[in-house]
Amino acid sequence: MKYTRFEKARIIGARALQISMGAPTLLKIPKGMIAPIDIAMLEFKEDAIPITVKRVEGN
Amino acid sequence: MDKKTTPKKTKNKKDKKKVDTKKSLKTTKKIAKKEKKQIKKKEYKKEVKEIKKQTKKTTLKKAKEEKVKKKGKIEKKKEEEKEEEETKIMVPPPAKKDEPEEYKKLRTEIKKILDDRFLPGSVIDEIIIKVLNEKALEKKLKIIIDRAFEHYYKNIIDPAEACGIVGAQSIGEPGTQMTMRTFHYAGVAEINVTLGLPRLIEIVDARSIPSTPMMNIYLREAYRINSDLAKKVANQIEITKLNSIADIETDLTNLTIKIKTNKTTLDNKNISIDEIVDSIKKIRGIDVKVEKDSIKVVLDEPSYKKLLDINETLKDLKVKGIDGIKRIFIRKEPNEGYVIYSEGSNLEKVLEIIGVDPYRTTTNDIQAVSRVLGIEAARNMIIEEAYNTLSEQGLNVDRRHIMLVADVMTTDGIIRAIGRHGVSKEKESVLSRAAFEITVSHLLQAARRGEIDKLGGVAENIIVGQPVNLGTGAVELVMKKGKKK
Repeated sequence: MKYTRFEKARIIGARALQISMGAPTLLKIPKGMIAPIDIAMLEFKEDAIPITVKRVEGN
Repeated sequence: MDKKTTPKKTKNKKDKKKVDTKKSLKTTKKIAKKEKKQIKKKEYKKEVKEIKKQTKKTTLKKAKEEKVKKKGKIEKKKEEEKEEEETKIMVPPPAKKDEPEEYKKLRTEIKKILDDRFLPGSVIDEIIIKVLNEKALEKKLKIIIDRAFEHYYKNIIDPAEACGIVGAQSIGEPGTQMTMRTFHYAGVAEINVTLGLPRLIEIVDARSIPSTPMMNIYLREAYRINSDLAKKVANQIEITKLNSIADIETDLTNLTIKIKTNKTTLDNKNISIDEIVDSIKKIRGIDVKVEKDSIKVVLDEPSYKKLLDINETLKDLKVKGIDGIKRIFIRKEPNEGYVIYSEGSNLEKVLEIIGVDPYRTTTNDIQAVSRVLGIEAARNMIIEEAYNTLSEQGLNVDRRHIMLVADVMTTDGIIRAIGRHGVSKEKESVLSRAAFEITVSHLLQAARRGEIDKLGGVAENIIVGQPVNLGTGAVELVMKKGKKK
């Protein structure tokens, strides 16, 4: 499934919040990558985040 | 008529009689109307014939007499038949231009390639034209279509996009640059039309009558080529007051009014004296006598004051034409023939006139369009008018922003204004209405009625302190099921 830009932002945001609060990362993170948002984006790129969206039919 | 009413014998006899008389009255009225229309048609047929005959005659003279006479008769008969067919079908729909074979072929091919995928018609049309121009592209058709599809879906708007806000800003920002030079003379004709910001406000406010109503009246095949016929149609449309075609003189000694008509002006306007008399007779308390070229009006009861009164009404008496249409200009347009431009608008009546092409005639009175042609037509008119007023000022606003505005205005089946009196007033949500205007009274009334707010819109959610149901806020996250790495 392709995500819209809003969905992508929301998923990465949610995951970054988890990471920032101390959640273990799901991938091997390269050294020096500290920012939770960067990590979340990497995880998203690798399709490692166990989160999707529930789409509602319009109206 | 009687047969229809007889089955309902359950009602009282009196009632039935009443119904009968009413119905018969209606039918007689209808019949009278029909007859009038038919007479009108016949008159027009005659006129068309006469003009054609005249042109025929002049051409006939040039050729040899006897042979041509025979031929001419046959041709005339044929033409008469043709004309009869033309008038029988009141207004034939515009002939659809058939696509050339190549286009059709390509179109079916594209459809095959697209399969279930969707591409808008305008994109397909563009591809067809491009491909037909460059034959080399035909082999790459599949790649082209795939690319077009890809690009189309890349650029299509995402769900949950705040398209309304984007649209409002996209129209609003160029709107600030609109000049104050608001009046403009449309084309060569000296018709004054409101344009620019006032016109845009007028469209969006859904005014019942535009400040400068205007019509472009296109004519049907035979009428738009022949200047005489075009003039005749124009004469039927333009309002003609008695004052402008005749001299009205009051005879104070005899307490009579004499209306002297001028034959040439009457002929020019194609009005007969009988028509004038008919319209004068509608005034009460007078008697009309026709004397050659003049009309004598005698009061039933001699009174000086009444004479002056009637003199005033006579001056302003409508002899011919359509109410609301003030001035008319006929212009010859390239590739079109004669087109009538009018100051003032009355779509209902103009469309009834024989010779007017109802498929192309337009007015800038959007409410009239909605009344006569329906809400879809009104939506198109809003888009067209708003787009034209903006682009006329050199502002390029994307059509789709305006389409959104038009959609909001017309979704209910009636035209609603944007703002206080229309859209904002009829919002479902209490909080949204309260946020707009007169907060306290809206909240009070809502409390009295026990209204429920579903918190669907932007304003409500902001008031409550929730994320707005737009963009990122509209996304609902769930855990991915199964599949662990």
